[in-house]
Amino acid sequence: MTKVYEDPPETVTALKDISFNVNEGEFLCIVGPSGCGKSTLLRMIAGLDRPSSGQIRFRGDLLTAPHSKISMVFQTFALLPWRTVIQNVEFGLEIQGRPKMERQEVAMDLLDMVGLRGSENLYPKQLSGGMKQRVGIARALAIDPEVVLMDEAFSAIDEFTAEALRAEVSDIHKKSRKTFLLVTHNLPEAIELADRILVLSARPARVKSIVGIDLDRPRASTDSEFITIHKDIFSLLQAELENSLMRHRLGELQEFRKLKDMEDR
Amino acid sequence: MPFRLFGPRAFHRVCDKTRRRFRPPAWLLSLIAIFAFWESISASGLIPSDQLPPLHEVLLTLVQLAGTPFFISHVAQSLANVTTGVSLALVLVLPLALLVGMRSQLDQALTPIIMLVGALPDLAILTFLVTIIGRGNVAAVAISAFSAFFPIYFTIRQGVKEIPADYFHVASVFRAGRAQTLTKMILPSIFPNLMTGLRLSFEFSWNVLLAVEIIASVAGIGTFISTNLGSSTHSLTYGLAAIMTVGIITITMDRAFFERLENRTKRWH
Repeated sequence: MTKVYEDPPETVTALKDISFNVNEGEFLCIVGPSGCGKSTLLRMIAGLDRPSSGQIRFRGDLLTAPHSKISMVFQTFALLPWRTVIQNVEFGLEIQGRPKMERQEVAMDLLDMVGLRGSENLYPKQLSGGMKQRVGIARALAIDPEVVLMDEAFSAIDEFTAEALRAEVSDIHKKSRKTFLLVTHNLPEAIELADRILVLSARPARVKSIVGIDLDRPRASTDSEFITIHKDIFSLLQAELENSLMRHRLGELQEFRKLKDMEDR
Repeated sequence: MPFRLFGPRAFHRVCDKTRRRFRPPAWLLSLIAIFAFWESISASGLIPSDQLPPLHEVLLTLVQLAGTPFFISHVAQSLANVTTGVSLALVLVLPLALLVGMRSQLDQALTPIIMLVGALPDLAILTFLVTIIGRGNVAAVAISAFSAFFPIYFTIRQGVKEIPADYFHVASVFRAGRAQTLTKMILPSIFPNLMTGLRLSFEFSWNVLLAVEIIASVAGIGTFISTNLGSSTHSLTYGLAAIMTVGIITITMDRAFFERLENRTKRWH
């Protein structure tokens, strides 16, 4: 699959010849240098965007629009501010036209699970970042998806809260056996959660490497194996970062030469 | 324990005392001062009473008028015209402003033109309208719809533009159709803007309407004011009383209706 953005006169290739499989029930993390198109990739799986060429398939079916079994958690939480906590969780079910009783039952169970029982009638602006993302996760799970996409879901939350939330998500994954895809720039986060880590290269992004993480859960970032894996992937990413930095510098240098030529003339 | 003039306890004592006493709002004091000033000027004879009638007469007239069916029907007519005008504008503008807010190409094509038309003086348009449509209620409704158009257009357009892209993503991911995206996402998002727009447009067209009534000789509070200001002996008193009525209605509408609606959105906004 390839994604090209055409914004004349420029064409930017965000993703180039990306190809990978996701196994049912696995936790796949996608890491890569910032701006490499990780989020674009996730958005395409969510059906919010289409690849320029290539295909995305879900259980063999071609994905061209949002799928009823694929749900998403957003970096910005994206809770609808005029809805209370429970109304936000019910959103997907409401769209599906499920009866009110059923919606409330599902939503209350999920709020219980994410530890927000008692807050169901608050508005999002009354919640902390961590609580907002709990609502975001409950909303994503409410439609009983098979795949949960998480776009930098822990990046806008303070580190302590994020740590607790990661543990809960890991728990939810273990119990529900749903497939999770998490895009992140936080490498320790990826190692803590993932069954496999997909490492993307700098723009245009290609699959640089797929690393299986075979550590027992819960994982501590102080374990020697954890540190080794971190080192390995980090050096992969660093090489990519240096590459892209070099390219960037080269571009600047050329620009500088052009300017100098013009001045000389 | 020694008596302490300063320190937290003394402070609380003072606070408690002032809290128990009735404290009128600050604006009420200013209002009383202005009215006292008015009353004393006309009482002293500095300005003759046929140019500035004393306040108590105006207020008395106001109370009298408020019980007169003739006067009430004029006020009701004006209110009906302005409400019809604003509602008409809302029905016309809402779809347009929603579209323009979401499609930037359409925005670039239409908004400059709409700004241009909005910059034209309402009252000049009004005389033009009267020559086309003729005098009467239709002209009054048309012009109040015209002046209500722009505030609603610009506030809604802005509101739609300010909807975060992720809200649209949420609607898509959970597979909301067009109608559901509109009713469950876009309309609630822009509701605060809609309130502001309606509030502004009501004020705009209410002001313009009074002028319309005078120019197009439509029954209403504007005509009531102009006929009374321009004629016989006790005229000024009636005119001023009617002007005060307009002010009272504007403030009441603003506070009792729009502010209450806006406060409701403040729970989440």
